[in-house]
Amino acid sequence: MEAISGSLALIGYGLAAIGPGVGIGIIAGNAVQAMARQPEAAGMVRTTMFLGIAFTEALALIGFVLFFLT
Amino acid sequence: MILATEECDLTNSNVCAPSEVTELFEFRTPIRIGDVTLEILGFPITRSVVLILFVALVVIALLFFGLRKKAAQPGKFQLSIEGIMGFVRDEVAVGIIGPEGGKFFPYLLALFLFILIGNVFEVTPFINFPITSRMAIPLFLALVTYVIFIAVGLRRQGFRYIGEIIWPPGVPVGLKPLVGIIEFFSIFFVRPFSLAVRLFANLVAGHVMLTVLLLTAYVSITSIGEIGLVKGLFGFAWLALALAIYMFEVIVILLQAYIFTLLSAVYIETSMHPQH
Repeated sequence: MEAISGSLALIGYGLAAIGPGVGIGIIAGNAVQAMARQPEAAGMVRTTMFLGIAFTEALALIGFVLFFLT
Repeated sequence: MILATEECDLTNSNVCAPSEVTELFEFRTPIRIGDVTLEILGFPITRSVVLILFVALVVIALLFFGLRKKAAQPGKFQLSIEGIMGFVRDEVAVGIIGPEGGKFFPYLLALFLFILIGNVFEVTPFINFPITSRMAIPLFLALVTYVIFIAVGLRRQGFRYIGEIIWPPGVPVGLKPLVGIIEFFSIFFVRPFSLAVRLFANLVAGHVMLTVLLLTAYVSITSIGEIGLVKGLFGFAWLALALAIYMFEVIVILLQAYIFTLLSAVYIETSMHPQH
């Protein structure tokens, strides 16, 4: 095990980024589908999509910041 | 190339770089004129402070010169400033909060412009340093939003506000303790923290990536004589990647400013109308 060195925090961040990656994909996919079904609602769908992306991305970024703290 | 260090000794080494990554989060050295350290109220003035004042000056100058001549047929600059104000008012303030959003429009506009110009300093050529990449700025802005949305809720509904926002209507009585604890921590602790960390981490990630990539490219290309041509030409690959990240950062900058403002408006709206 001497050949592998590095920080556990980096692996932690990598694992933490799986969930938000899937989540943002789901949000964006559903938003595109909603905009295709009803183009008049595109503005509201886009705003809500950004809101959802911001919430889920925050979790990945907390992992990123904690990597710097250790 | 102005990097993330304070002291730069260009005669000794090729480039200036921070000695370790945690130096990005430490208190910086103050600016000295001769032997005198400039201070305001006992706090030394560092490069970050000068940049924060510069951002504020740029925002004030933009709004002042953009709205000075109220011509019936606006010129291009006035049109763009009014376009930004219209966007913040129609999409964010009135669109999210409703007809009473006009009262919060000045605060949301100031927030949006300050964060936007502060972020834009990451991609301006001689000042590659976003002020929002130091945790103090996003933290303080998130705390101001926090105080505002709690004050709005307390003023509208008195102390019933806490009960109404923790237990939305329709929660079964048996679940109230569990939902109460979860919602309490989510609203009163996680919200300001995540608001600050979202902005901070996005900006610091972009800044660190740009710094590392451009530094590697510069060192590789300028020391071709020492390490050979092949390794030196790899510098161009890093440069290309740095330019791609540069373009991505421009999108991230705009998006993060918009999201901070949007979430502030959403929090104020849920304080005013907790029924949903």
